[in-house]
Amino acid sequence: MTRRILIQRGTLVLPDRRTFMDGDVLIENGRIARIAKGITDPQACIIDASGLLVGPGFVNLHVHFREPGEERKETLETGARAAARGGFTTVLAMPNTSPPLDNPMIVRALALKARSITFTHILFAGAISRGCQGKEMAEYGLLKEAGVVALSDDGASVESSRLLYLAFQYAQYFDLPFILHEEDQELSRDGHMHEGTVAFLLGHKGIPRVAEDSRMARDILLALNTGARVHFTHLSTEMSVTLLRFFKGKAPLSADVTPHHLLLTVEDVPRLGNSTKVKPPLREKRDVEALKAGVAEGVIDILASDHAPHAPEDKEGSFADAAFGIANLEVTVPLYVKALVEEGVIDWIELWRKLSYNPARFLRLEDRGILAEGKVADITILDPQTEWEVDVAQFESKGKNCPFQGWSLRGWPVYTIVGGQVVMAERRVVDGEFC
Amino acid sequence: MWIHRHLTGICHLSKEDILFILDRAAYWREFLEHSPKLSNALSGYSMVCLFFEPSTRTRTSFEMAGKLLGMHVINFSLEGSSLEKGESFRDTVRTIARMKADVLVVRHRTSGIPEYLATFLPCHIVNAGDGLREHPTQALLDLLTLRRVFGKIEGLRVAIVGDILHSRVARSLALALRKLGSEVIVSGPPTLVPKDAEALGATRVFPVEKAVQEADVVYLLRIQRERQESGYFPSLREYAKFFGLGEELLEEFQRSVVIMHPGPVNRGVEIAYSLVEHKASLIEEQVTCGVAVRMAVLEILLCEGKVR
Repeated sequence: MTRRILIQRGTLVLPDRRTFMDGDVLIENGRIARIAKGITDPQACIIDASGLLVGPGFVNLHVHFREPGEERKETLETGARAAARGGFTTVLAMPNTSPPLDNPMIVRALALKARSITFTHILFAGAISRGCQGKEMAEYGLLKEAGVVALSDDGASVESSRLLYLAFQYAQYFDLPFILHEEDQELSRDGHMHEGTVAFLLGHKGIPRVAEDSRMARDILLALNTGARVHFTHLSTEMSVTLLRFFKGKAPLSADVTPHHLLLTVEDVPRLGNSTKVKPPLREKRDVEALKAGVAEGVIDILASDHAPHAPEDKEGSFADAAFGIANLEVTVPLYVKALVEEGVIDWIELWRKLSYNPARFLRLEDRGILAEGKVADITILDPQTEWEVDVAQFESKGKNCPFQGWSLRGWPVYTIVGGQVVMAERRVVDGEFC
Repeated sequence: MWIHRHLTGICHLSKEDILFILDRAAYWREFLEHSPKLSNALSGYSMVCLFFEPSTRTRTSFEMAGKLLGMHVINFSLEGSSLEKGESFRDTVRTIARMKADVLVVRHRTSGIPEYLATFLPCHIVNAGDGLREHPTQALLDLLTLRRVFGKIEGLRVAIVGDILHSRVARSLALALRKLGSEVIVSGPPTLVPKDAEALGATRVFPVEKAVQEADVVYLLRIQRERQESGYFPSLREYAKFFGLGEELLEEFQRSVVIMHPGPVNRGVEIAYSLVEHKASLIEEQVTCGVAVRMAVLEILLCEGKVR
């Protein structure tokens, strides 16, 4: 029997109602038992939240936990600890593992393991195509039974238009949404960074914007023609936003962005080196401005991480030899605060909606993303004021490949509560009992 | 009154035409119960079965029907034919018709072939299945089967489950059922049950469980492996699990539902192994009704058609 937890004197964030409220939250048996002002409970374990924001736990649609196959980069366990530290109570792990999550047996085994890990709820996306090869449809019905909640070939884009056209129709039978990584691999082939003057001067082949834009256009039209629920992940270009803005509302389309695409550009690549090598590549100022405008308007309605941890050896050597990917799960939220709240792009409520309420709705997680009595006690408490420096040495993630080392940021999650259990307190993962 | 020279599709028939055939077919169905089965109703007439696609039951059924009526029946075999020597399709069929065949029974993988033949051949054309379009004698034999079991077709709710997109059986059957006043539900993987199928007068219902629950008749279609290869569904095991008729599904909604299938059956895929010979299965009766319906069609085309 776990003890009751009482969060006192916090500013409650109610993203579903787009409002704040002063009050206390009492947690009992893994659920939110009461929300009111001035709750007293001498038996409960107290969290003093004065000066802090208390809201529904963050839901991250895009992480790579590398299991099975690349446990040297990350595991479900280390990834979940990183999620707890980052304030994420639910994460969606991408299926481009080795082997990929295209087989119900593998998903079952992994889901079983995930259930024994308490630091965050780990959900899984199944593969769109067998082996994530973009050729044949995976078994969506059997995958859903095994536990997948979405479909993605992330890491690559689906090559065959016909496959995607049929998959969009077929998956509706099982009510599974798609999460698409948009990149025409013929156009991005041999590219290491954004195509432009920087790449030219460094002597690298570029990844042009149109590699993303052309696939966005095709897949928006396929979505429109089939009525599928389609989410576009890690947008990086101005045109992606323009296309989505034009078609949004005509089909159930949504999109996310990553913090690095809002805070860095290709100009930062020479200075910061291999840690900035990522797909899609860091682009230009005008793309950043367009992405922020998209976030402000709601064209981009979800904020995610694309947490892509690597072992040090994968990021060593020349830029051309380094792997693509940035590990950022533990700093995603303060990075978004810097890029969006401090810049006045969106307010705290909207930030919370995009980090919690909106992704929970996308995954149809009925009792998450809302702070209300009776809901699962997945709660994130955030300190909007105190500044701390990013220190990758403190990362719980195995991936230290983060270009934001040394940045001074505000808006860090300071408590994470998953299913009524405090898994992170004062920016440290709680091993064992919290109180 | 019968006004048709050919039977190329249900789409050309009226409700009265269909009932006319069914009434005559019911007579021949009774006739088939007796041995020796002797009739010389069509003796002296000739029929050529031109099958450009593989077939066991339909071709045998036509052959049986013709022979029971005393006809001369010739089976054209594609192998070793002059088509293989490069003769055009048009010339091949013209040559056969010139031998004064009275009836040409045609199966072809191209939709619309029977109508095309009817434009220039002097004989009666019976469509034994053209491409994805129609298979009228199959629909008629299904109606005869249903009428024998339920007494009438009107008001029945029939769920056709499976590959509607590529099924000439589904097209003909749905059209015929609608003409006779029954309700048609189609279900299966959304990739194979397009919205356009509503043009048949059918309602799309998902999931399959719901379609089965609402139906008096569950009509399963054969699922072809090549549909998986062309990407319409991911695997046979997934098909069997979510779109096939299993025993649990049948027990769950057990009322007086009957099961039909045009054959050949993939046991364990669209229908559970044991359900093929289940008491609710009409699959064998369908086969017998097939002979009776084809006898009726041949008789009506050759005798009634002349009146005109």
